[in-house]
Amino acid sequence: MGLFEAIGIAGSGLTAERVRMDVTAENLANANTTKAANGQPYQRQEVELAQAGSSDFGGALTSAIRQSGSTPAPGGVQVTGIVSDATPDQQVYDPGSPEANAQGYVKMPNISTVTEMTDLISESQSYQSDVTAMQTAKSMFTATLGLLK
Amino acid sequence: MALIDSTQQLLEAAARGSWQRQTALTNNIANADTPGYAPQEVSFESALQSAVNGGASPTEVQFQTETKPVEAGPNGTGISVDQESAKLAENGLDYQALTQVMGARNDIMRSAMGAPGA
Repeated sequence: MGLFEAIGIAGSGLTAERVRMDVTAENLANANTTKAANGQPYQRQEVELAQAGSSDFGGALTSAIRQSGSTPAPGGVQVTGIVSDATPDQQVYDPGSPEANAQGYVKMPNISTVTEMTDLISESQSYQSDVTAMQTAKSMFTATLGLLK
Repeated sequence: MALIDSTQQLLEAAARGSWQRQTALTNNIANADTPGYAPQEVSFESALQSAVNGGASPTEVQFQTETKPVEAGPNGTGISVDQESAKLAENGLDYQALTQVMGARNDIMRSAMGAPGA
């Protein structure tokens, strides 16, 4: 159990939430993009998160000694990938658009601005919680150092 | 009386447990949006109590980080960030109380030794 482990774990949370906010911003920015790199409407991106194992020696040893199925040593969170949301594109009736098909429909990205905005709020709240956790760890560490005074 | 008496050892063990709980709570908050994640907890008070009642030395007690199975909420995890933050604040205050008591005891020791600055 390292002294700075808690700060590292909170840091991994900050990184993960930042990536999620970046991806949400990308989704919002492309909410009306009808032609992405592949010529198709932009597809909503989602971040996949997974619990990370402890990276330091002590944590790895603790996890190895414990039997399988028991609690792994705390190691924070990691982003395992950014994947496309497979929800079908939206069809918007806009016969005047140059991209409308024969029936007058335009294929728009599968993005709901409301969903993205609520995601953004939850991500920023999680980020804030990670900052608070880091500050608490810091004040605890300062209290320990204060013993030496 | 030994220089490091049993009260000091208990305080140290409790601070160790509190620190371990801090790590577990931070991990819970970091994984607040990880699907399938089950929150972790450290019940160091009960472990310490039973060790002391059983006559074991507080310095040798190892605390376990345990997984607490809970019903997953709408976001796919069993974590409530509000609750974890509240526990985090409580644990931080507990730890500060422990270190202040330890500090006060150190001060007493220092004045007894006539160390400068005490």
